Amino acid sequence: MRLTRTPADDQQREWPSGGVIARLVVTLVVATLLQTTVAPNIRILGANPDFALIIVVCVALLMGSEIGAVFGFLTGTLVAIALMEPLGLSAFVFVLVGFLAGRYAETADLSAGYAPLVSAFAATLLANVLLAMAQYLLERQVPLGFFLSRVLVPSLILNTLLAAPLYLVVRLWLRGAGDLRVARAR
Amino acid sequence: MLTLYFRESDGGFVHGTQSVVLRVVAPLQNGTARATKPFRDAWNWTGDLFSAKSENAKLRKELEQLRAGIAKELTTQDENAQMRAILALQRDRIYPDGVRLVTARVVARSATAWYSTVKIDVGSESGVEVYDAVVNGAGLVGRVTKVDADAAQVTLITDQQSFVDAMVQPGGAQGIISGSVTGDVTLQYVDKNERVKVGQYVVTSGRQGSVFVRGIPVGQIESVGNQDVELYQSISLDPFVDFRKLDLVQVVVR
Repeated sequence: MRLTRTPADDQQREWPSGGVIARLVVTLVVATLLQTTVAPNIRILGANPDFALIIVVCVALLMGSEIGAVFGFLTGTLVAIALMEPLGLSAFVFVLVGFLAGRYAETADLSAGYAPLVSAFAATLLANVLLAMAQYLLERQVPLGFFLSRVLVPSLILNTLLAAPLYLVVRLWLRGAGDLRVARAR
Repeated sequence: MLTLYFRESDGGFVHGTQSVVLRVVAPLQNGTARATKPFRDAWNWTGDLFSAKSENAKLRKELEQLRAGIAKELTTQDENAQMRAILALQRDRIYPDGVRLVTARVVARSATAWYSTVKIDVGSESGVEVYDAVVNGAGLVGRVTKVDADAAQVTLITDQQSFVDAMVQPGGAQGIISGSVTGDVTLQYVDKNERVKVGQYVVTSGRQGSVFVRGIPVGQIESVGNQDVELYQSISLDPFVDFRKLDLVQVVVR
């Protein structure tokens, strides 16, 4: 995966239409509501699903690094506002996740069905490590055993499993059913 | 943005922006929380069903233990009656004159392991202020840590940065209830000379300067550790409140 842009990348850049932007705004609101009102009540394998993170990954995979980064920033900010948590922390993490997932989509072959799963796995790993580091810097307790066994491993499993259905839903929503039929024909 | 947030005052630009956006998001969250409540209830019911089987075996074992201990129970009945009387007295007279209870609904909660916070749908317009205690029918839930016009953030007593001055009943041993990142709740700084037993109740002490009024039930003592090298006793609590199922709460407005 290349992290830097090439002139070819710039030529290929296409800004989304008004309709796509409207769909992205709806996705943003739904991601925030899912993360703040639904996710805390679902506990599987000892962890809560991170809908916002997975949706950021899905949008970045479908729309590219720039839109992924912007969408990540807005999602992180809105989730922090909705929970009245300190602003900036989730936004920072989600910007990185959105950008890196987008770059992965721009530079790697996404025809393989496992691409969303790999991306969600890597994004969960990155996000959890960054959030744990931030907690440490904010002088909160971060016991390593607890972090590994009760936070990281369950989240990795759960988010990776949820990535496939969520990717399908987000793809259908952003690109329509026709895109899936084309992909299946290939 | 993170630097600005932590450096500026509560009336600063970033806080102000947060407040404005929050006013838009809060009604949406409220609506979603209400709409998804039947699904949450169904989810909890399913979870309870699965745990019922293992709980059944556990309860049978407990029943056997209880039968064996019934003789002992009779001898401690007087003590229990006293404890119940004390608890009933506290329940009747928990809130002093001038205290008002504002009912609120939990509309969102943090899904990360690092923060044990919830957001409720009442704020400064209802008279809620930072440091107000939050309770439900079972006992102490937490305290208000941030307030907006029509929303407030409540830090639960299970949060690792939650500290509540408390006392053991009966006996009156004083300590500080502290949460942790694992969600366990402990009673700290209880002198080794104090006689504390498993099963005793812990309530807020409401000492001068405390943010909590006296006598709010918090939990029951689960275990007591007493090591020679430690200055204080190591006491773990079983909170009365089921934090997984928080829905309606009351803010104690003074």
